[in-house]
Amino acid sequence: MNRKRSRSGVSILELEIVAAKIRRNVLEICRGQGGYAAQGVALADIAATLYFDEMRPDGKGWFFDRFILSNGHDAIMTYGALAESGHYEMEDLKTINADGSWVDQSPIEGQPGFEITAGSLGQGPSQAAGLAWALRRQGSNARVHCLFSDGELQEGNVWEGAMFAGHQRLSNLCYIVDNNDMQASGHTRKIMSVEPVDEKFEAFGFKTRRIQGTSVADLLDAFEDARATTDKPFAMICDTKPWDGIDCLQKAQPLAHFTAKDAVKWDEGIAEIDAEIERLEAERTQ
Amino acid sequence: MLLTGERTFDPAPFDAISYDLCARRSDVVILSADLSKYCQVVRVKNELPEQHLDVGMAEQNLLSVAAGVAKGGYIPIATCFACYITRRAYDQMMICMGTGSGPGTNRTHGPTNIAVGFTPGIANPARIHHQAAEDLGMVRAIPNAAVIDPMDSTDFRAALDAAVERPGLTYIRGHRGNTPRLLDPAQFTFELGKTYRLREGSGIGIIATGHASQWALEASDLLQDRGVDHSLLHVPTIKPVNEIEIADFSFAHHRVVTIENHQIVTGLGSLVAEIVSDVGGGPRITRMGLPNRWAPGGTLPYIRAQLGLDAQTLAMRIEGLAR
Ligand SMILES: Cc1ncc(C[n+]2csc(CCOP(=O)(O)OP(=O)(O)O)c2C)c(N)n1
Ligand SMILES: [Mg+2]
Repeated sequence: MNRKRSRSGVSILELEIVAAKIRRNVLEICRGQGGYAAQGVALADIAATLYFDEMRPDGKGWFFDRFILSNGHDAIMTYGALAESGHYEMEDLKTINADGSWVDQSPIEGQPGFEITAGSLGQGPSQAAGLAWALRRQGSNARVHCLFSDGELQEGNVWEGAMFAGHQRLSNLCYIVDNNDMQASGHTRKIMSVEPVDEKFEAFGFKTRRIQGTSVADLLDAFEDARATTDKPFAMICDTKPWDGIDCLQKAQPLAHFTAKDAVKWDEGIAEIDAEIERLEAERTQ
Repeated sequence: MLLTGERTFDPAPFDAISYDLCARRSDVVILSADLSKYCQVVRVKNELPEQHLDVGMAEQNLLSVAAGVAKGGYIPIATCFACYITRRAYDQMMICMGTGSGPGTNRTHGPTNIAVGFTPGIANPARIHHQAAEDLGMVRAIPNAAVIDPMDSTDFRAALDAAVERPGLTYIRGHRGNTPRLLDPAQFTFELGKTYRLREGSGIGIIATGHASQWALEASDLLQDRGVDHSLLHVPTIKPVNEIEIADFSFAHHRVVTIENHQIVTGLGSLVAEIVSDVGGGPRITRMGLPNRWAPGGTLPYIRAQLGLDAQTLAMRIEGLAR
């Protein structure tokens, strides 16, 4: 299991524990007002790998590498992770979506962890590419990661950005595609298929890797591959499942885009995660 | 404030402005969307290629890549025709470039984002699709944005110099090709939000912006010859607009005429009417500019004549109001 070394030296097991805790945070944040719980839990392994291993610390309490969240509502993933890292307080995050709360469901540029205003979908990939271009020009070796979704792949601006990144050979840029076959009104494959996603990015000049996106070991591998790719940008296509690991969320499929407060039994989900955390922590002490 | 004597023309104002700015500031990047030549970005492209970035004919990309470049510590100046940079990419202008700075956002001083729209209004010969007759209205609706419609190459240069010092989104209407030198650089100092009295008089108060300030000056010359008393106020800054100076000017005249290279709906005329009606009891305002109808195509003199915006007709229309 621990055959693959992480970038920072943290073990796979530790990252799996972090991922489970992020899932727990996601459900705790969403249970009050409802939220994008299905995406949050499915992206937890990506978040754990990215925030707790791949992105290097800047020595000032933040990150040296950059993360652009394009799919605004996936902020739930960032919130879950940055609560675990201590950058956000769960008490604050639980007010998400409530009248008067400063915790935006889809945040505005400049809030910690959010470099762009991302509620208008499809605008992250080219902003990330512009940022990567600027950092390369400065001689910085910071890497830029950008998370966006299969729904966003239907937006032209995404492909304009990808074309620019490919043309400029931005090898400091890594796209992470949440290819969950879900969008607002149903399955992406039925509404407007975006496949074959990997071949499309390859045609735009990317090196790609297609993974489940829910295995820390696979993610570590993919990030390593991305870093080792020095002549072109990288796209990690993650075929995530919106309910990953949490049975109660699966029941809302295919309309799990937004999980209403009363749609699922939150306690059941949290109990499932707690059992998982207990199991993983027991493994740690062995 | 105005130059006197024979009018001279600047054949490529932005070529010099962009080159001088980039030579002075290595943190400025000029972005193009396959229209570098048509926006007169030639010297920067050839002589300072590190400071030029072409994103192809993709205007949404132009503004979103620019916003990313800004987040990487540079000052992007995105250039394109006014019609595409606003209409095609309005959401990118507002959301990617316009939400990182100022009241209601998360920062007081966020990155600087500049967009320059060339051949605005009827300065473009190709009717409807190439004529941005609504860009001022669109961009002035964006909170915290600055919107500048300069009248000549001196004003244009100064507007860009001000924009690079300002956080947040600034939209500037560009001038391309033979552009008259009207303001005297020795006497004119641009300040964001300042208005400029080009002619002092009483009776009719003319308020103009951008290309239309040139037209207003031409009409003013004819009115002077005919002894029609009037004043002329040039308002380059559409946003943040100087309400006090515009109200003071308007209330000092018994009739106000606005002239703009933009439709009279949502542009300068609307703006002046909003300001004057907020005070209440002001003079009557007559808005001249493009109607809310599709304008014809063709050369600028032809279109102006068709719309009653040539110097003779403008002077006649204003004189008619004075009587
Ligand atoms: C430009 C834009 N168009 C439409 C919307 C409304 N909208 C919000 S989410 C969404 C579906 C997006 O698909 P995806 O991100 O794949 O959804 P998820 O997998 O998170 O369910 C839509 C159409 C939007 N926010 N922005
Ligand atoms: Mg999706």
